[in-house]
Amino acid sequence: MIEYVSSRFGQILFASWQHFSLVVQSLILATVLAVVIAALVYRSPALTAVANSVSATGLTIPGFALVGLLIPLFGFGVAPAVIVVVFFAVLPILRNAVVGLTGIDGAVIESARGVGLSRFQTFRRVELPMAWPVILAGVRVSAQMVMGIAAITAYALGPGLGGFIFTGLARLGGANALESVATGIIAVIILAVVLDLLLVGLGRLTIPRGIRV
Amino acid sequence: MSDNIPATASTDPASVITGASILLDQVSKRYPGQAKAAVDGLTMEIPAGKIVMLVGPSGCGKTTTLKMINRLIEPTEGRIVLDGDDVTGINGDDLRRRIGYVIQAGGLFPHMTVATNIAIVPKMLGWSKDRVAARVDELLELVSLDPAQYRDRFPRELSGGQQQRVGVARALAADPPVLLMDEPFGAVDPITRVRLQDELISIQKELQKTIVCVTHDFDEAVKLGDWIAIFTEGAQLVQYDTPERILAEPANEFVENFIGAGAGLKQLTLTRVNEVELQSAVTASPGDLSSDVLSRLDQQGHDHAVIIDGRNRPLQWLSRRQLARLERIGSTRDPRLPVVGERATLNDALDIMLVSSVGAALVTGGRDSFRGVVDVETIMVAMSQAHARARTSHAEGKPVGINTGALTALDGPHDGTAPLRSADRGAGGE
Amino acid sequence: MSERPGVVAAGTAQGPTASAGTDALPGGTADTLVSRDRSWLPLLRQLAGIILAGLVLAAWLLSAELTATEQITLNPASLLVYTGEHLALTLLAAAIVLVVAVPLGILLTRRPFRRVAGPVLAVVNLGQSAPAIGLVVLLAAWLGFGFRTAVVALVVYALLPVLRNTMVGIGQVDPRLVEAGRGMGMSAAAVLLRVELPLAVPIMLAGIRTALVLLVGTAALSTFINGGGLGILITTGVNLNLSRVLIAGAVIVALLALLVDWVGRVVELLARPKGLA
Repeated sequence: MIEYVSSRFGQILFASWQHFSLVVQSLILATVLAVVIAALVYRSPALTAVANSVSATGLTIPGFALVGLLIPLFGFGVAPAVIVVVFFAVLPILRNAVVGLTGIDGAVIESARGVGLSRFQTFRRVELPMAWPVILAGVRVSAQMVMGIAAITAYALGPGLGGFIFTGLARLGGANALESVATGIIAVIILAVVLDLLLVGLGRLTIPRGIRV
Repeated sequence: MSDNIPATASTDPASVITGASILLDQVSKRYPGQAKAAVDGLTMEIPAGKIVMLVGPSGCGKTTTLKMINRLIEPTEGRIVLDGDDVTGINGDDLRRRIGYVIQAGGLFPHMTVATNIAIVPKMLGWSKDRVAARVDELLELVSLDPAQYRDRFPRELSGGQQQRVGVARALAADPPVLLMDEPFGAVDPITRVRLQDELISIQKELQKTIVCVTHDFDEAVKLGDWIAIFTEGAQLVQYDTPERILAEPANEFVENFIGAGAGLKQLTLTRVNEVELQSAVTASPGDLSSDVLSRLDQQGHDHAVIIDGRNRPLQWLSRRQLARLERIGSTRDPRLPVVGERATLNDALDIMLVSSVGAALVTGGRDSFRGVVDVETIMVAMSQAHARARTSHAEGKPVGINTGALTALDGPHDGTAPLRSADRGAGGE
Repeated sequence: MSERPGVVAAGTAQGPTASAGTDALPGGTADTLVSRDRSWLPLLRQLAGIILAGLVLAAWLLSAELTATEQITLNPASLLVYTGEHLALTLLAAAIVLVVAVPLGILLTRRPFRRVAGPVLAVVNLGQSAPAIGLVVLLAAWLGFGFRTAVVALVVYALLPVLRNTMVGIGQVDPRLVEAGRGMGMSAAAVLLRVELPLAVPIMLAGIRTALVLLVGTAALSTFINGGGLGILITTGVNLNLSRVLIAGAVIVALLALLVDWVGRVVELLARPKGLA
């Protein structure tokens, strides 16, 4: 195992970086998408209900099935990988963003409008910061989930650590198959932990001290 | 809260007392890793059929003490004696089935109906279905809830006060001799709390259980307690006495601070109007000539006349000036008449007096019949008498059926000096 | 992958209902996603949607001109076989998960074991962040290919939501109710059976539903180790470049997951103790 890793250290590092970068970029995109969608729907109970059921239903769809569905449409490679990862990343963040935004005490918003903040200013300076801890919790959940989903996009020849797992599968019984699979798994776990710690750190930096738990 | 003379507390005609006495015998609770004991060598007798209030600042060990009685918390040392039996070693679940337990907000199980909640202990004791059902209805009536209406409701369909009532009914289900209450009325609004306290008093009058109740509200302790035990840290018993004597003669500065401002006013809640000597009054009936009434006022040196109807109920309360303007006395009833029932406390009476134009209040007894007049002077006299009585009974050292602190003082080596000191204070005698 | 969605579902509620969470692990709260909406209408809509999507798929397959290979793969009899295998994998794994995770979860909330609850959850959580496909392949390398290995992998995978929700479900029961029960003389076992478990049921069921959805998705991966199931349609579609087979497989798996989710929600609605808001 050690020999396997040390002989391919550069390759592993590169795949890890690809994996990490795929996940992080998708998460950023997903966060923006989710917050925008949430901002559009959270004032309307009907739209909120639709958003919630979309995220609940979306999370029910198996990742592997979605990867499969996208291959005929987008072929192999990076495109289906990014789409799948973003799709799944949006859902938990969306739900938390909706919950966070709708959960804010009406009196707070009223007093913000009362001191003369515009509707957009109220959203940007009061509502969003107050919902941010909840949104960030959604991002953490997304991050953990999407790490694994990114691995299966390797089936559509997407970038990242999934390649090690599928290579191992293809050579199962042969030399280094087990090492390859184990490398993929362990590297994904490590990345997941690292990313989660980074997100916790992000929370420390971005959550206003007054509402930190 | 009816007896405020300690001597009667113990010699009360015990015909209806269904409660059992409790003895905490040198009970201690130590938690591993904590230097100080949560409860340190506490000896405390709780007389049968009485309400004993455990009060003190938070973290003083009063709740721990309460929970050691039903052994929800197992004492580290000492004995719990219930009705003469040492129950320290018996099966805890069996013990708890014999002791009612009420917690804040009732602690009702939300997934069970009111009836199921109440039926838990009787069912565990193997009562028949019919007997359980009958008991449920009986208890609901006892706590003033219509069985037909509330039996099948779920707790969330009840108000806070109703939940608390069901909590009390559930605790009484198997007719236990002892009821333990942990801040029972802490979660309801002040108005409901007063009503629940009054109901508990009347239930207790009927049932005469032994009730041990933890509260952080000294006023509640004064209102409900036959005896009040004031604790400080480590469940050191600072004073264990009747409310009257604690108010009149706080054992030390800690108790004084704990009582807070207005000890005198609190004392007013302890005496009822029918316990004081009322002033007499000039009475007259509708149809009498005003001039006759005025001359009677002159004879007796009074300024007001009470007009009563044929059944001795007060109708009006007229001043000399009002009488002078009339020829004959009318039969209308003055809706703003300052009337107080004789079962009311002096505090209530004072309240009514302060807003009445006369500065006094009419006292009525059974069927609203007129008994006399209570004024500020009456109250002052009553208070100083009560004070004196409390002091003398204290001096005589008659804390009957109670006591406290560490008998370690007698036994010798057991615990340090702290409990010893508390024993001195608590007993008030040396 | 496939399982992730489920777990997510679990974790997502974390923020809003943080109080239910007992563990401070990454994303580590229970599935507090207990359906709040107690009406049947959303459920009817979900069922209607699933049926409609199924009909559209059937119509599309029937109207298309299928090649010979496609016809062989997609004939109703073999679809039924694959679906049967898929359900067998799912249900067997679910049954084992229940038998293992529920008692374990209960045990870990009992006083003597509460201390190890945190570490146990941490380990299970860490395992959860391993990619499912990796786990499936790794176990195959160890236990060989086949149905049994697939079941083992699925069990390992779906353990977490049930375990975590059992623990959180029991943990969120108001301790004063437990005390009230003990104070009335109920034994520890009676309090567990009559108070703690009934009150934990909604959250436990949500965890079980999450696990089932997860299992349906992950079972699609068992085709990689010859474990059977509907995944074979997807791999066959990719390998032989048969888009229709691929799409049919993916859609059927997704619909099956939605259907299982629906059944779970119905059960949750029916089994929720009366009297809970």
